[in-house]
Amino acid sequence: MTGALAHFGPRRRVYPSFFAKAFQRELAYKFEYFIGVFNGLLFMFIFTSLWEAVYAGPTAATGGTAFTREGIITYAVYAMLVRISMTQEESGIPAKVRSGEIAMDMIKPVNYMLMTLAETGGGTLFHWVTRVAPIFAVALFAFDAWPPSDPLNWLMLGVSWVFGYLIFFYLNFAFALLAFWFVETFSFQLMKFGLFTLFAGGIVPIDFFPDWLQPVIAFLPFPSIIYVPTALFIGHIPAAEAGSLIGVQVAWTVGLGLLCRVMWGMGQRKLIVQGG
Amino acid sequence: MSEGPLVVVDHLSRHFTLTESRPGFWGSVTGLFSRATSVRRAVDDISFSLEAGEFVGYVGENGAGKSTTIKMLTGILVPTSGTVRVGGLVPWESRRENSRQIGVVFGQRSQLWWDLPVRESFDLLRSIFRVPEGRFRENLAELDDALELSPLLATPVRKLSLGQRMRCDLAAAFLHDPKILFLDEPTIGLDLIAKDHVRSFLKRINQTRRTTIVLTTHDMDDIEALCERIVILDEGKIVYDGATESLKRRYVREKGVVVEFHGDPGVVTLPDLPTVRVEGEGAKRRFSVPVDSVGVATVIAAVAARFAVKDISIHEPKVGEVVKRIYDDPASLTRPEPGP
Repeated sequence: MTGALAHFGPRRRVYPSFFAKAFQRELAYKFEYFIGVFNGLLFMFIFTSLWEAVYAGPTAATGGTAFTREGIITYAVYAMLVRISMTQEESGIPAKVRSGEIAMDMIKPVNYMLMTLAETGGGTLFHWVTRVAPIFAVALFAFDAWPPSDPLNWLMLGVSWVFGYLIFFYLNFAFALLAFWFVETFSFQLMKFGLFTLFAGGIVPIDFFPDWLQPVIAFLPFPSIIYVPTALFIGHIPAAEAGSLIGVQVAWTVGLGLLCRVMWGMGQRKLIVQGG
Repeated sequence: MSEGPLVVVDHLSRHFTLTESRPGFWGSVTGLFSRATSVRRAVDDISFSLEAGEFVGYVGENGAGKSTTIKMLTGILVPTSGTVRVGGLVPWESRRENSRQIGVVFGQRSQLWWDLPVRESFDLLRSIFRVPEGRFRENLAELDDALELSPLLATPVRKLSLGQRMRCDLAAAFLHDPKILFLDEPTIGLDLIAKDHVRSFLKRINQTRRTTIVLTTHDMDDIEALCERIVILDEGKIVYDGATESLKRRYVREKGVVVEFHGDPGVVTLPDLPTVRVEGEGAKRRFSVPVDSVGVATVIAAVAARFAVKDISIHEPKVGEVVKRIYDDPASLTRPEPGP
């Protein structure tokens, strides 16, 4: 047997391979890891301090919400952790379309969306190991925010996290696919980022928005991403409501998944692969 | 698979709409509301077919429509009109299925994963194309033998030289036993030795596996060395499709016979062959032989009969020169018989 063959093991399944390779690729950037942990803790510190300040005044600005001081700090810590645990690397589709590099993906017999999901998932798992775990460990002690002990809370977190993650993925994918129609998609990305930051619940729980705006936000996919998993986990939303909220998540997952499929089908016909 | 040609291209066209921006600031502002557009016919009603095992050169100047055609054949671009069948499939309708039966190498790009070692890329491709274990090992052994891959396998793709990367990309395109291989400028930027490696590999694979190969290149030496058939594109239209040899024969009106004598023979004339021109002076002379009326062998015999000959070489125009003439004057192909 020649040297070329010696190192190949048995053939693996394709999408798990994408997942594993994405994880492996992240390992190449070690410096990122330390900066990431530091940033996560820094932001957690900033937001908890902000809430401390908001609640410390003589007329506590609780906004008429059910959040106590401890409650909001717990929310801030876990919302940040959920947010970091959902980190999704850029799919790079707009850049690939612009350079024509997308051709090299399209000459392969793969389901592009599934491939992107697998790669994104591999990157996310990397963030779990390298960021979520250490930040969680530090946060436990630094912010006095112990997790609930009831397994039901963990179960609700697990289920709603998965759907929140998928909704977030499909949104990112759909916005990235706009590159098939528009050369410049930066303003769309900016819009998505703005809406996500405001309405996903990563920074401010939905409860703090004006009464007239809350039902509007409820009609958007964003709260399903961070607010719902976090609020269910810390018990801010009673378990009785979990069913309907997760139902909404499932609806968004299916709807956005279909949207992405349709966009991909149409976009492929629209796509003009650049370059020679 | 069904009988008949492997690839059928039927009245294929692809037009691009170009928006023309008007000059200056005011032009940009009005451009927001209305834009002048024009249509470029990148590929304009072309038809051809390929049999299994053919090695075809697909050439043309920049912008002639070569890459656009290849993109449609590989299923990554939808045509404006016309149809293509590759192994019975319409590429852009069955992109994924089609990609299993084709191999693609774009010289300017890589299908390998930039930051992974070559081995990992091959491993991923094997999973993607579901290459059976035995086939994978056989192919890899053969490719390693031809392209000397072993020393490169542990290196991340981004650290390979252009020649090394091309060897790996060629190998990558072959791992799944494609029926047909599309090569777009595979020798671009390679040094002579690397070019030679690539050429001999392609020749070998075409002969041993009967893989159909479509080669797009600006390097006419590639065509000369490899392609029995040549398709020439000009402004989106096929201007020539036929054997490389007959293209040469059609354009080659003269061959040169360079003769080196033992010493200066003085005035050299061939009284029996008045159409043969003699050029140069001293011990080395060039005879321009009009191939329609005089055989090269006749000239050599006539020269050898009258003078003491030390060495003879025959110069044939290369495909490159012929193709250049066609680029300069595409109409020359359709003119009945250009005079000498």
